[in-house]
Amino acid sequence: MNDEASYGASYGAGYGADCEITSTTTSAMQILRLLQLSSSTLPVGAYTYSEGLEYLVEAGSMNSATLLQDWLKQELTYGSIRVESGLVLRAYQTTLSQDGESLLGWNNWWSAARDTEEMRLQSWQMGRSLLQLFLTLEESVPTSHVPTSHVNKTWPPLETLLAQDCNFAIAFGIIAAAWKIEPAHALLGHLQSWATNLIAAGIKLIPLGQTAGQQMLLNLQPVLECAAQEILDLPNEALESCGWGLSLASMAHETQYSRLFRS
Amino acid sequence: MSIHPQETSPAVYAQATIPEAATLSAQWCGAVRLHYDKPDHKTRLYRSWHQAPLKVQRPFYPESEAICHTVLIHTAGGMVGGDRLTYDVSLEPGARAVVTTAAASKIYRTLTQATEQNVTLNIAEGACLEWLPQETILFNQAQFKQTLRVNLGHGASWLGWDIYRLGRTARGEQFLEGQWRSHSEVWQAGVPLWVDRQRLQGSPNTVNHPHALGGCPVIGTLVWVGQPVEKSLVEQLRSRWGGTGEMGVSRIQQGIVCRYRGSSTREVRAWFTQVWNDVRFYALGQTACLPRVWQV
Repeated sequence: MNDEASYGASYGAGYGADCEITSTTTSAMQILRLLQLSSSTLPVGAYTYSEGLEYLVEAGSMNSATLLQDWLKQELTYGSIRVESGLVLRAYQTTLSQDGESLLGWNNWWSAARDTEEMRLQSWQMGRSLLQLFLTLEESVPTSHVPTSHVNKTWPPLETLLAQDCNFAIAFGIIAAAWKIEPAHALLGHLQSWATNLIAAGIKLIPLGQTAGQQMLLNLQPVLECAAQEILDLPNEALESCGWGLSLASMAHETQYSRLFRS
Repeated sequence: MSIHPQETSPAVYAQATIPEAATLSAQWCGAVRLHYDKPDHKTRLYRSWHQAPLKVQRPFYPESEAICHTVLIHTAGGMVGGDRLTYDVSLEPGARAVVTTAAASKIYRTLTQATEQNVTLNIAEGACLEWLPQETILFNQAQFKQTLRVNLGHGASWLGWDIYRLGRTARGEQFLEGQWRSHSEVWQAGVPLWVDRQRLQGSPNTVNHPHALGGCPVIGTLVWVGQPVEKSLVEQLRSRWGGTGEMGVSRIQQGIVCRYRGSSTREVRAWFTQVWNDVRFYALGQTACLPRVWQV
């Protein structure tokens, strides 16, 4: 546990000094990058995953907008999405501090901590897609648009992540750091894109109207804000969750007879 | 958590200090240390040490000399706030052991300090440990934290389970206050193979919400870590289920995990025992030998 203590100390060192985000011009660029990274049009296949919702709908226990919103609120308040967002933050910080060993350590940790095989495969597939996309963009975008960064193809940890399995949260954190998005904003973006995706799955599955989905996203705003704020301050020891319902639904989905979604 | 785990060698473990009961009067700091080796065909419990209220029964060999069965006893009835139990178990290369407890554990309500249980299991190359404690009953307002750390050597395997009843349901009690935390990690050669970080804050919204306990007072986790398994094992273990609660099975990177949520410890034990039997047969070609103490 000694490692935890030392690691925790460096992790809490404060983002402001590292980020050097001050000018308003950078701010506009940050917002644009945040929107791009969090967009549901990001080609990582998020729309093919329902995280157990498909099973819950099939089983008859998720049949209204109210129940879906309540489920998402519960996950944001107690569930594993909080730990995943915590991993975004750790990937962000270890990327900034160029601590490749810890970055890879957290990636392994999250692979071991995903509760079901489907959720792990989802995380790996989306993570690999996102990391590859990022590296392709870094090559093609004019250098004047890319902040000076060590985060490119030649950084050894990225080579390792591409050669093995890279979790989505890890890729998200790396890119947020490379694009100099503020950590608090990166967490909001991560949580909001997660919620948007599951609401979209709910719209197809339950089914619900598009307006009901947008209403739900708006209703969840205070919960998203509160979760992001709490996750920003979570020590390693508090990367924990309660989600027996989600685990059981995800496990049941793995052997569900007829499936549209991959999780 | 530790990103770079220190491999715990038997030498380090032998020198570890035990917290003295005298420093915490009226609180139990029970401890058990078991050290198994296998110099020839027989697994020996060659070193056994305990501190009250924990005790160790004489080891026995109901199936073969290769597999040592050991029963742990908690002599004080239950645990209160501030109590801390420590389990250190080490298996030398090739050793095999089945460890269980003589009775269910009880965690009483506490108003002050949490009740803690820390388990460290070092399983050397080719060794195999089956860690099968009986269930733990958390009274409403209990504050319980368990940490479990398994260090697996090359070719070693571990099967463990944990069953909890949250609230004394026979009295109509629910776990509406209090906290249950369980942090489990299995590592091999510096890489985590399985990490489980559970935290349940007792409240109507967690105990009754379908996302958390869904009104079910009993939860259980069985995990086996040793080697990658085929998808067919998942189907097989699911097919063993005949209960009324909910169950799930999924593969992990080097093994399998099972979850249960329901209202019957009898039901989850029956299923987990069947799973243990099947996994043993799958991995080692042997069926399980049920500890007699469970049948009392």
